[in-house]
Amino acid sequence: MSWWLVSFSRTSPARYLSHLDTSRVVQRTFARAGVPIALSQGMRPKPRISLPLPLPVGAAGADELATVEVPKGIEATADVLRALREASPPGMEIVAIVDVGDPHPRPQARAAEYACLLDGDAGAIGAAVERYNHTEHAIRERVSPKGTRRLDLKEYVGDVVATAVGGGAHLGFTISHRQDGAARPQELIDLIAEWAQVEPVMQSLERSRITWDHGLPSPQAGQRKELSS
Amino acid sequence: MTTSHPGSPDLSGDWPPGEIARLLARVTRPGRYAGGEFNTRVKAGALPRIVLSYPDVYEIGVSNPALQILYSHLNDATPASAERAYCPWPDMADLMRASDVPLWTLETFSPVAECDLWGFTLPHELSYANVLEMLDLAGVPLHAAERDGEDPIVLGGGPAVANPWPVAPFFDAFFVGEVEDHLDAIVAALGEDGRRARLERLATVPGVWIPGSDRGPAVRQVFTGFSASDPVLRPVVPVMEAVHDRVVIEVMRGCTAGCRFCQAGMWYRPVRERPVDLVVAAADRLLDETGCDEVSLLSLSSCDYGGVTEALKRIRELRPGLRVSLPSLRIDSAAESLSSFAAGQRGSVTLAPEAGTQELRDAIDKGVDEAQFEEAVRATFQGGFTGLKLYFMIGLPGETEDDVLGIARMAATAARLAKEISRGRARLLVSVSSYVPKAHTPFELEPFAGAATLRVRQRLLRDAVPRGVRIAFHDVAASTVEATLARGGPGTDRLVEEAWCRGARFDGWSEHFDVRRWDDAAAATGTPLGEASVARPYWRDAVDARLSPDFLEDELVRARVGELTEDCRDGACGACGVCGGEIGMELLA
Repeated sequence: MSWWLVSFSRTSPARYLSHLDTSRVVQRTFARAGVPIALSQGMRPKPRISLPLPLPVGAAGADELATVEVPKGIEATADVLRALREASPPGMEIVAIVDVGDPHPRPQARAAEYACLLDGDAGAIGAAVERYNHTEHAIRERVSPKGTRRLDLKEYVGDVVATAVGGGAHLGFTISHRQDGAARPQELIDLIAEWAQVEPVMQSLERSRITWDHGLPSPQAGQRKELSS
Repeated sequence: MTTSHPGSPDLSGDWPPGEIARLLARVTRPGRYAGGEFNTRVKAGALPRIVLSYPDVYEIGVSNPALQILYSHLNDATPASAERAYCPWPDMADLMRASDVPLWTLETFSPVAECDLWGFTLPHELSYANVLEMLDLAGVPLHAAERDGEDPIVLGGGPAVANPWPVAPFFDAFFVGEVEDHLDAIVAALGEDGRRARLERLATVPGVWIPGSDRGPAVRQVFTGFSASDPVLRPVVPVMEAVHDRVVIEVMRGCTAGCRFCQAGMWYRPVRERPVDLVVAAADRLLDETGCDEVSLLSLSSCDYGGVTEALKRIRELRPGLRVSLPSLRIDSAAESLSSFAAGQRGSVTLAPEAGTQELRDAIDKGVDEAQFEEAVRATFQGGFTGLKLYFMIGLPGETEDDVLGIARMAATAARLAKEISRGRARLLVSVSSYVPKAHTPFELEPFAGAATLRVRQRLLRDAVPRGVRIAFHDVAASTVEATLARGGPGTDRLVEEAWCRGARFDGWSEHFDVRRWDDAAAATGTPLGEASVARPYWRDAVDARLSPDFLEDELVRARVGELTEDCRDGACGACGVCGGEIGMELLA
């Protein structure tokens, strides 16, 4: 068995998929391309596939990663990459594949860069961003069935960059991923929107880049299989 | 012309359009409205433009096999383009109204109202309010009489067309029966001239009934080429989870088991089977085409399919780890069928004795005996299946309290066997629905039991089932609405419209169904809900199901004396009236 790092992008209309749906689409893309995925052991074998950093519903991703285990003898060639691309549904594009062998690389994200468009008064949004950038703490509560957790967004999200556009503002920010987790883009937007008194709805959200732990061969680092044409 | 990437839309521009993107950012499960599935077809500039709809939410509608047949045929074998639209969930519907954005198609985000023909598959009565919801969201006048040259022709089809009266004024036309042979004629009828000329041409297509016309009832059409035809080989594969997320191959159409309560069993006659070689080849290709890892052999009673054992074996051999499922099992052959399932896919099994005593099972022509039932339950638990669901109905014609208590006795038998064999590891669920008499069945004019009786019998049964057995009942109020519409005559449409005006939507969903809307609508329109009897079979004025009235009457007499009717598959012809001319059974040798 061998693990592949699969770099892919997710744009419209696929950006409206959930994490599980995205995982299933990658799985089906492999099946349609005729590339087998190794199965887990047990009574109900499951394909060995993992998307280590879930992308929120509605978000586009330019630099997403899946890890897929394939049976021995399957090579990550340009022909395979071409077959995967042809088998992808609209909005999903397999960018690169790299064989990292065994064991499972278990990628850990360190940081992810986001850009979003927030509708509303650009001046008010800009002021809210300024306030965020200068505040020492930005405490939010995350409510889940397991309970309520308080987190300080400032520990996870550095300065936010705001650029006025027609009808709103583009926001750019980077979220750090730590041992104890990470903030969610929506949590930052909720705070900015609350301070700016605008609706906390992102018209678009894109994760443009993810930084992974040291030691993870990057499909972007020259080891990827390029299409010959 | 279809684009080369599997049905890809043109993503080069603003996709989806900004106004729709704004809505998608605010709703639950936006993937329902964004399209982008495997095998989507986009035929830019093709005419006529047809939109196909299933009046329920995306996850349900995209799983509907009939819509897949229509979508594939229209796009791949006619000059027309076919796109799709499903019923928006209430959160999206509210936003669409607030933002004045009309219902769009998943393929091109075009307004549905701009198409030439809008076809609805009507699955059941509780979907009718959703039809009005979709018409309204699209900006198409609710009543056919109010539509003009700019509006699409709205065409209804599907099993609920067996009695079209409750929705008749909302449709320009209905197609009665299996449409495969007539799609080309329907497309040809949509010439460039006006709406009136199109409707006149449409009226000449066999199987088309136009409300208000004086042509008499439409004769149900039978697809005589079914056995020799391929199933859909390039289905739309949803990218978000759907209720049926697998390869579906229709192996057989029709069922002659003859259950007297079953509308589908009467409606889809005669039985036609596809050859095993064709089914296996289709499975092989569909697995490649879709990337799915499960195949379902679809029919009304797949255990009756003459090639079921061979097909299961050969399809399972196509891919390692492939799961193959049958949507239904017959109790009298369940033990054999269950043994053919691989160990890794032994999940839950559903058996449908339907009634609690031998007398009532004979009356409904479901001649299963207690010994067969016990053998099937034993086989389930001995085979290592993890759950058993038993399906019954209450309110059947002639039912007594003892028949109801018989359900509890059968549940007790199953519970005892579960304890003995699986030592409590297997789950047992008894599901009980309320019988609703349906048009074109031997029981079509039999009384509906009524809400009060059904509730008494539910309590009786709940008190009688052994402790530890889970029992679930269908909502009596929803069954009462269903019963009113299933045999409703001209004028029942006012009830549907009034209920929709009062907020009825997604009535098939327990979390959305609110009987007060229907009660208020009934009071406002003077249409009582859940009347026991019906004055006459109004549906026959619109639909000729090819069933002989003598056959239906004879079956009713047999029901009353508890006499079984042979399955004409391997017994005597029951003279139902369907076969004749080009139409006949097509069984595997």
